[in-house]
Amino acid sequence: MRRDTIISGVKASTPIMASYIALGIACGIVLYDAGFTVGQIMMMSLLVYAGAAQFLAASLVVMGASVPSIILMVFFLNLRHVLMSASISSFVKDKSLLYLGIFGHTLSDESFGINYSRFQDKQWHPNEAVVTSLSNYGTWIVSTILGGVIGSQFPINTLIMNYALIAMFLCMMVMQFVSKAHILAAIASVCFTVILTVVLQHNIALVIATVLASCIGYIVENRTGRRKGGNSHA
Amino acid sequence: MLEHPVILIAGMAVVTFVPRFFPLLLLSKKEISPSLSRWMSFIPVSIFASLVASDVFFWEGSFNLNPVMNIKLIPSVLVILLALKTRSLLWSMILGVSAISLMWLIV
Repeated sequence: MRRDTIISGVKASTPIMASYIALGIACGIVLYDAGFTVGQIMMMSLLVYAGAAQFLAASLVVMGASVPSIILMVFFLNLRHVLMSASISSFVKDKSLLYLGIFGHTLSDESFGINYSRFQDKQWHPNEAVVTSLSNYGTWIVSTILGGVIGSQFPINTLIMNYALIAMFLCMMVMQFVSKAHILAAIASVCFTVILTVVLQHNIALVIATVLASCIGYIVENRTGRRKGGNSHA
Repeated sequence: MLEHPVILIAGMAVVTFVPRFFPLLLLSKKEISPSLSRWMSFIPVSIFASLVASDVFFWEGSFNLNPVMNIKLIPSVLVILLALKTRSLLWSMILGVSAISLMWLIV
């Protein structure tokens, strides 16, 4: 790989690196707070590498959710990557299996966002794209480890730390408000979650509420015609 | 609190890698069914709403809509307003943490 390929790939990644440092440290702190060791946090960032999913895991572990239900929620959350992976695939179709493995593993929301727009806008080489993805990936791993270390050194008020997570999920929810149907799905999900949590007293309520609310959003969008909306890329 | 961290991480790794890698490998020519992709576009918003609802509306284990007792309610309204305006994760977190700390000190 040429030197200027690496430089331009890393350059494209800098704005994302800045936000990954801040969010990665926060993620490391909440994961440590949820009971993961620094080593486990490193393994998770290395093997999973999905910010939203890692925050979700921290939150569900604190709620006392079971391992299968956490994995199921992570799977649902990651289904959005199917759309991203499929839409970026045409730009890297001649690449080797190893390349696709690395590019796929490091395809976060942000890596997708930056690479997809560059592929569309101008000459963007698949090698530059994978460098960008890898430098985002490295930044995330280092930042979450740092967060874990910080979490292990300082006592943190759990109510407040837990609320930092909620504030982030609120913002992630708002970022998905791309159509009226999506807002309606959010409202439906809130209602189902509250009712099912009270009735079932079990956090499987979240899984059921999510699936039901997605179906409601889909049905409403079908009824009201397709128009705009539909774009799920956050 | 955390029972099987290694199994959890391994499971999360699998369910993260599969939806990122296989479309890249298989779907370079074919398209995903538009209905499936539209249904999937509603999943993240529903998940985040559900996660938030399961936390924010409950205080000490029971449903609670009293903003003076359940101190998470007012900060949540503020965070939603800020998020609608800025769409910034970082600023939302900063505002959320400041607001809840203030509520915690006052109440």
